[in-house]
Amino acid sequence: MRIVNPTFGVSAAGGEAVAVKPVDWRTDAVAMFSNSKPNARELLEGIRARLADIRSVDNIEFVHKNSASQPAPAELIDAVAGKYKGALLAIAD
Amino acid sequence: MIATETFRPLVLAQAKARKIEPRLIVVKHPIGGLNAQELAERIATATAGLTEATSL
Amino acid sequence: MTDTPETELLDIPDGDGEAWNEYALKQGWGDGMPLAVPTEAAVEKFVAVCRGDNQPFAPISPRQVVPTLKSLAANAVMAGCKPEYLPVVLAALRAVLTPDYNLHGTLATTHPCAPMLLVSGPIRKALDINCSSNCFGQGWRANATIGRALQLILLNVGGARPGEMDRATHGSPAKYAYCFGENEEESPWTPYHVRRGFATGDSVVTAMAGEAPHNINDHGSTSGDGIMTTIENTIAQSGANTIYGKGPYVVVLGPEHAGTLHRDGWTIESMRDRLFEQARVHVSRVSKENQQSYAEAGHVPVNDHYKIAPTPDDIHILVAGGPGKHSAWIPSFGGTAVPSVRVAGG
Repeated sequence: MRIVNPTFGVSAAGGEAVAVKPVDWRTDAVAMFSNSKPNARELLEGIRARLADIRSVDNIEFVHKNSASQPAPAELIDAVAGKYKGALLAIAD
Repeated sequence: MIATETFRPLVLAQAKARKIEPRLIVVKHPIGGLNAQELAERIATATAGLTEATSL
Repeated sequence: MTDTPETELLDIPDGDGEAWNEYALKQGWGDGMPLAVPTEAAVEKFVAVCRGDNQPFAPISPRQVVPTLKSLAANAVMAGCKPEYLPVVLAALRAVLTPDYNLHGTLATTHPCAPMLLVSGPIRKALDINCSSNCFGQGWRANATIGRALQLILLNVGGARPGEMDRATHGSPAKYAYCFGENEEESPWTPYHVRRGFATGDSVVTAMAGEAPHNINDHGSTSGDGIMTTIENTIAQSGANTIYGKGPYVVVLGPEHAGTLHRDGWTIESMRDRLFEQARVHVSRVSKENQQSYAEAGHVPVNDHYKIAPTPDDIHILVAGGPGKHSAWIPSFGGTAVPSVRVAGG
């Protein structure tokens, strides 16, 4: 039996996998990016405090979305991408 | 990315749709609603995952 | 969902209706209820209704793929739609693809929101969309299958599979189908879509990521003020998403409540203003932890109260339903909008 595929669609992401630039986590500036859910910032603050035993944390900074229920605005993502070499995202809870 | 084990499939499915391969640190679910003592375990797990994943 | 070959046509094993449904459900294509077979011939009848609607669709979250008219029609066939319902389904899809609707967030959230579809204008009658008694309930093919078709599109094309990309803690019966019509004939006020700038003769679909309707029972009040008191206190809930995740809500007035309110001089604007001011939660009904959490997110109480809507414009009031002393409150997910889209050709 021949049917029309109910899942069919054209990928909007294109065919190429996204390349990730190398990051030196011992020295590079890092963004701690919170999804603004309860305890996300506390989690990231705790990680940053522990990292202080391993590396300088002066260039590890906190960033957050304005709302847990809405996506991060493109400008914010662009700003983070421009300022930091790495980002640690508290993303899914 | 830090995700809880419960939300790991969502992150992986999202990443697949966007053709990215995230470096994922998985901790126990949940994060919200935990007190400071409970959250400390998640912080320890996430930090260990980060240091391992990044060779810190 | 299995990894289906990315071709628009599929050859699948022959079989009867039961075998088809077993196959389809195994692919993850369904909502648990039986599905019609999207044969090429069936899909073509639907597509023929929409010839000329060539406006492209945005990628559908969370899978981020751009649908084709045929794949959308296949889902409408599977849902049990008639071909003439497809333009309404497409308008509904365009509404939820409006960026401010925040489709990705509303699908991936743990909140039990579903795409509420309100149909206004003459197409309600042409398609027999129920606007009166039991309009949120069972019994009308158009209501049931238009709402279901959108859900199947979001599942199959969008990839919002429950438990994977759809992370709802409980979900909601509204996720099977959530479509109703405005009872314009028994509304004492201007139809909703006209208030939003459309022509009276336009047919319009309005969408909101909403919870299932919450009942507002008021058999005793004999005045508009009394009914407003009941409505505002029903809405004032500590557990409402919009107490912190600022967003819109819908109030669906039953025709009898609407009649009393109109008799006593209430307008849409005055009702919205009243609800904006009075549908609020005293700080004593909010836990200390939540108060702190809301404050960190910039949501602070005003005169010791949290408001449920950010502005009066976020309160959407219309008439639907039949006889009886009931109205309904439909809270939203929060970070969402209420887009209205004209039905092509409608």
